[in-house]
Parts: sequence; C-alpha cells; structure tokens
Amino acid sequence: MTSVLEVRSLRKIFGGVKAIDGIDLDLFEGEILGIIGPNGAGKTALINTITGFYRATEGSIRFRGVDITALALHQIGRLGIARTFQNIRLFRRMTVLENVMVANKTFSVAPLRSVLSAWLPSGRRRAAVDEAMEFITLMGLAAKADHRADSLAYGEARRLEIARALAGRPQMLLLDEPAAGMNETETAQLVEDIRTARPRVKAIALIEHDMSLIRALSDRIVALDYGRKIADGVPESVLSHPDVRRAYLGDDEPATAGAAA
Amino acid sequence: MIADQLFFTGINLILAWSVYVVLLAGNLSFAQGAFMAIGCYASGVLTVKLGLPLVPAALAAAVLSAFLAMLIGWPALRVRGIYLIMVTIGVTFCVRVGLENFKFVGGVQGFGGMMGADLTTVMVAVAVIGAALWGLSISPLQRILDAVREDDRVAESLGINTAWVKLAAFAVGAAIAAVGGALYGHFMNFVRPDNFDILVSIYVVLYVILGGVNNMFGPVLGAAIMTLLPEYFRVLAEWRPTIFGLVIVVMLLFRPEGLLSFRVITAKLSQGTRR
Amino acid sequence: MLLGQISNGLVIGAMYALVAIGFTLVIGVLDKLNFAHPEVFMFGGVVGFVCAAYTSVWWAFPVAFVVGGLMGLLTEFISFRRFQSEDAKITAALSSLSLGLVLVDITHKVWGSEPVDLGLTSGVFKEGFTIAGVKFLWVQLIILAITFALMLALHLAVSRTSAGRRIRAVAESPANAALLGIDVRRVTQTVFFVSSALAAVAGLLLALRTGVANPEIGLTFGLKAVAIMAIGGMGDLRGAVIAGLLIGVLEALTFQFGLGRLGEMTVWVAMLIVLLWRRGGLFSGMHAGEQRV
Repeated sequence: MTSVLEVRSLRKIFGGVKAIDGIDLDLFEGEILGIIGPNGAGKTALINTITGFYRATEGSIRFRGVDITALALHQIGRLGIARTFQNIRLFRRMTVLENVMVANKTFSVAPLRSVLSAWLPSGRRRAAVDEAMEFITLMGLAAKADHRADSLAYGEARRLEIARALAGRPQMLLLDEPAAGMNETETAQLVEDIRTARPRVKAIALIEHDMSLIRALSDRIVALDYGRKIADGVPESVLSHPDVRRAYLGDDEPATAGAAA
Repeated sequence: MIADQLFFTGINLILAWSVYVVLLAGNLSFAQGAFMAIGCYASGVLTVKLGLPLVPAALAAAVLSAFLAMLIGWPALRVRGIYLIMVTIGVTFCVRVGLENFKFVGGVQGFGGMMGADLTTVMVAVAVIGAALWGLSISPLQRILDAVREDDRVAESLGINTAWVKLAAFAVGAAIAAVGGALYGHFMNFVRPDNFDILVSIYVVLYVILGGVNNMFGPVLGAAIMTLLPEYFRVLAEWRPTIFGLVIVVMLLFRPEGLLSFRVITAKLSQGTRR
Repeated sequence: MLLGQISNGLVIGAMYALVAIGFTLVIGVLDKLNFAHPEVFMFGGVVGFVCAAYTSVWWAFPVAFVVGGLMGLLTEFISFRRFQSEDAKITAALSSLSLGLVLVDITHKVWGSEPVDLGLTSGVFKEGFTIAGVKFLWVQLIILAITFALMLALHLAVSRTSAGRRIRAVAESPANAALLGIDVRRVTQTVFFVSSALAAVAGLLLALRTGVANPEIGLTFGLKAVAIMAIGGMGDLRGAVIAGLLIGVLEALTFQFGLGRLGEMTVWVAMLIVLLWRRGGLFSGMHAGEQRV
C-alpha cells in the first residue's frame, strides 16, 4: 500500500510537558485512519505538529515521501495537507462562497497574479466561482453561498470547514474532532459528509471522541494515551484492546456509541 | 481658500489610504508619518538638487519608501501586532530625528525649494490610487487579505504565505504615504522634520477609524470630515483634537468599525453560471 | 564629566522606569495597553505647576498621585470596561490614545502649549554638592529616592500583601481568579489607579527637575515608556526598572559622546534590537513564552 504519511519517533515537548512522547504512525492511500484517546492524550498536538502549527521537538514526518518536519505552515498547506479544527475556525466575516474560494490554490499560491485577475475576462472569474460552488454544493450548503460564515448553524459551519478544506484539492485531510458538540442526528449526517469527501482525497485521518463516528468510518484505528501510541490496528482489535480500555474508564469498554469518555 | 482645503483633504486621504492598505493585512501602522517624510524629502532632493520633474521623483521616492518598509517590516512583522505598533511608533521617531540631524537636507531648519504640486496633481493621484484600490477590492487578492486579517494561521495553513502578504501590504502602504508626502512637500514649498511627527501618524490612523475600516471609502469620509468640517465650523477648528478625540472614543464604543462599515464582498453566487 | 552624565542618566532613567512600571503593570496584570498613560504622565507636571502657584509644590505629590489615579479610573471606565475580548484590545488602545489627545488639548487650552515655569525658587532645586569633581543636585537625589521608594513599595505591595496576591491571581488568569471569588473589576480599577498615579508622580518629578511643566512631554518622554516596557519585557516590573535605568544611562552616554540629538533615537533603536534578538524583551514577565496555535 502506498504510504501517504509516515511519522517516526515524533516528540513534542512544551516546557516540561510531553504532549507527544515518541509516536510512530502510518497513513496509507485510500484509508480512513481513526485516532482515539482520552483527553490530553496528545491527539490535537499530533495533528498540530503534522500540519505545522507546532514545530516538532524530535522525530520526522514524511508526506508522500517528502520530509515536512521542518517546513513552514504555508509550505505544508501547499504540498496538499488540509485540516479542520476542533473549535471551527472559519473566516467569520466572509461569506460561505468567499471562505471556499480563498482556499483555491490558483490564487492563494500566487497573490500577485490574483490582483491582475481582477481584470480577467469574466469567464475566468465565473470559473473560479463555479469551482467553489462545486464543493459548496457537495457539502449541501449551496443555498447559503452568499451568507456570512458566522450566520451558519453549527452543523453547517462544520460542513463549510470541510468544504473549504477540500477546495484546496488536498491529498490528505485531517479532521480534528469534527463531531464535537453534535447530537446523534448531526453526527449521522457528518458520517455521510465524510463519506462524500472521501473520494476527493487520497487519505483521511479522523481524530474523534465519538465512537459511533469512529466505528462507522475507520478502516484502521490508532489509540493514544499520554502522548504515546498504545494500540494500532483494525477497529475490532483496537477497541477491545486492554490498554485502550484501561485508558478510558477503568476497564470498561472504551465508550459505547455516543457516550464519549 | 477652497482649493487649498481640497488639496489638504486629498493629501490626508492619500495618507489615510496608506494606513488602510496596511490594515487590510491586519496590521496597524503608526509609521505613515515617517514614510510621508521619506517621500517628501526623497522626492524633494530629486527635484531640487537633481532637477527631476515631480512625477518621476515622487514615484522614485515611493519605490524607496516601499523598499525601506520591506527592510523594516521583514523583522518587525514577525512579531505580534502590538509589537508592530510599537515598532512603527519607533520608526516615526527615528526618521524624524534622523532628518533633524541630516544636514544635507537642512536638518532642523528645514528643506525648501520644492514646487509643482497643486490641486490637479493631487486629484490625479487620488484617482489613480483610488482606481487601484477599487480593482484590488474586487480581486481574489482582497479575499486573501481578508482571510489573513481574520485568522492568519488558518490562512497560512491554506497555503497562503501570510508573511509575504503582510510585508507587501506594509510596503505598498509606505509607497502610498510617500506619494502623499511628495505632493505635500511640493505644495508647501518648505518643510521641516517636525511637520512629520508622531501626531501625523496618529491622526491618519484616526481618520480611518472614524470613516470606516472595512472598505476603501471609509478613509475618504474620515479624511474629508476631519479636514473640511473644521473649515466651516470655527469651534471645530479651535477644539479639533478634543472633539476628534471624543468622537473617536464614542465611535469606538458604539460603532467600532467606523461610519462606513460595510464590506465589499468579492464574489457572489450570481457571478457563477450554475445555481 | 562622564560620571556626571551617568548620574544624570540614572536620574532620568529612574523616571523612565517609574513611567514604564505603570505601563507594564497594566499589560502584565490585565493584558491591556493604556495609551493614555503618557499624557497622564504629562499632566503630573501640570499638577506641579498648579500646586506651586497656589500652595506649595510639595503638596503636588499627594495631589498628583490622586489626580493621576482618578484619571486612571476614568480611562478604565471609558476605554477599557467595554473592551474585554481579545479582538477588542486594539480598540481599547486606540480609545485610550484618543483620550490622551483630549487631555493634551485641554491642557493646551487652559495652560497654553508652551512649557510653563513652575517658579521653583527654593534652593533644593538649584543647589547641590560636589563629589570628586562631579556636581549632584539635591533635587536629583530626591527624585532617585522617591522613585526607588515607590518602586519598592509597589514590589512589596504586589508580592507581600493580600491585595497583591489578588493582583497576581488576576495576572495569572482572570477567569480563574473570578472563580476563586476575586472581584476582578475591583482589581482592575486598583491596577489602573496605581499605574496612572505613578505616571503622574513621575511627571511631577520631571517637572521638578526641569523646572517647567511641558504639555508636549507626553508624546516624547512618555511614549518612550512604551519602548522601555518592550525592552524590559511586557508585564515584567523588574524588567521595566532595569530597562529604564539602562536606557537613561545609554541616552546620557550617546549625548556625551557627541552624537548629539541622535541620542533621541537610542531607546527606539534599542527596542528594535531587543525585539529582534529576544522577541519577548529582556525578561519574560507575566506572559512567558506562549505557543501560538
């Protein structure tokens, strides 16, 4: 299987806190990898370090063969890694359409060229809008295209984040607790949304507390605790792994569907 | 004289726009007074000492300003916004002190002999800069700037080189301020370093705050109000700083985005062919 | 000569430190930038003038302290009460800046825009003594004594008293402090009061040293406190003191070594250098290395 992401011996230390304490991880083409772990296990730190929001203290990260460990945020974005955020970070005063259009790499990579494109034949501009609308429609937000991002309901905002992430035509999509704050209906919709997004990217990494989402979508699961990987494999084996059970609630089953740790 | 007042309104507008451009990328600059000074003196040296005509001299001064802005901005913009404010305040002081000690351009006594700018020149400059800003506001770069302003880390993760964008905005703002300074000097004929002190930098920022920070017309309104109104209401002229200060305080409490607070949306669904 | 310049620089530096301390206190505890601070500093000199004219200039000390403190409370109420969120920090700074402009203008209207002579005739201000060929004025010693006394008092108050403990709790985290039952608004007001009171006293001291109250001093001398605060580290009291003294001496030295008026640039250049080398200033203050996400 082709490797999309290769993380080796990754460490991230803040002051005295070991957020990530030696993690090896692989993400292969075509799969959805679930990443689970109790609060403080290092899940968000992991995604932040991979995407460049944090700089790794030690270790290496390779994306499709390229070493991205020391690359700047925007370089990593340009290589084709996109993400969503646990606390939904949209460009709030911009419209839905604008949020998605700004992810279009044609312009974001070459801002100078984009100034001149103001005088482009309107056909080119329409094409840019159409392309953005493709992703917006994919996520079911077509009716709200001209609405401000901060006017969206929670579930819609989450879908906009995914649309924006996809609009950059990434190779890999990282979702940081997309189901946070959602009820069962919204979570079920989210499963559909992620399934819709799946063919658009080569691989997806899904960090989640909500086990129903993890079970529904993951081809493989990695479990973290205290910044380390404690299990790695197919869902059935990871979710019944003794260390994983212990990490959550004593040795209860790590959260039955919905009721997260 | 109405022509004079319109002239100064034009200059203040150009300076307000220079603040606006830097603000587009999310940075507040109190250095526009310094770049105005650099533009004025540089173009003055070119016209008075080297005999160049005004337009090329002004443009050359603008390029110089932009270049200096990039030199200063490169280290400065790496720090949090509040530090940039302090650095820009420092730049304004340093430029002024530097000019006071620069005997070649007259030091504290001032520099004179510049001429050739009048209302027409200013109006042309305003028209050109205005057209450029309008073109910007409907271009994809406007969206990129908006994104950088809203959340620069997320914008960066989308592949936007925010450092470059901020630097470019800072440089263009400096160039615009330099043009304003060049025109100012060539109208006043004689200038001194203390014409370009920190108060100028502060005032032009306040014009933008008053008029509106979200679009290019806010600075027009702010500059117009603060330059023209005192001409017609004597009390405004005498108590200008107090009234201005109080107006800003009230504005910030109740309408912090300024008088003209609308945002120009760069792309609408109606531009697409599909629905 | 050199020693004289250095001693002069120390005195100026002490005053810088006193202004900077108030500024940095508000940043350190409340994470707010109070741009009215330099003008309150200026007004301290005006208070000195008024007191010298109507009673004795020595009354100016308590009066400046109180007037300055009250101005701090007013600034907090108008420019900071409403703007608590992260986004609104710049708005608050701009609002306080505008208040400062109003204060300067009113001062101009009432007392003129030229420096006004305090009419200090007492020997304390003119005479001094000589050691090793260097002349020290009594007023310089008074300034040094008062500034150090105030800084020491502030330090002790913050580190030893229960009020100080509350202040430190708010500096650590206003949300947690509120949960612990601390009246954050009261602490905020106290911090603003003390910080502005110190600024006014510093302004008074400068007026005593120069003999005049200068309405323009806010934007020159006073704004340097901002730079000094950046050099010393935002929110670090000890840093503000050290940076203030350092800059005072540095400026005196640059004047001494013939760089003349370029000495005015010293503090800003120093700030640029420090910010580039150590982004947070010399000391870490109350906001030690945050990780940006």
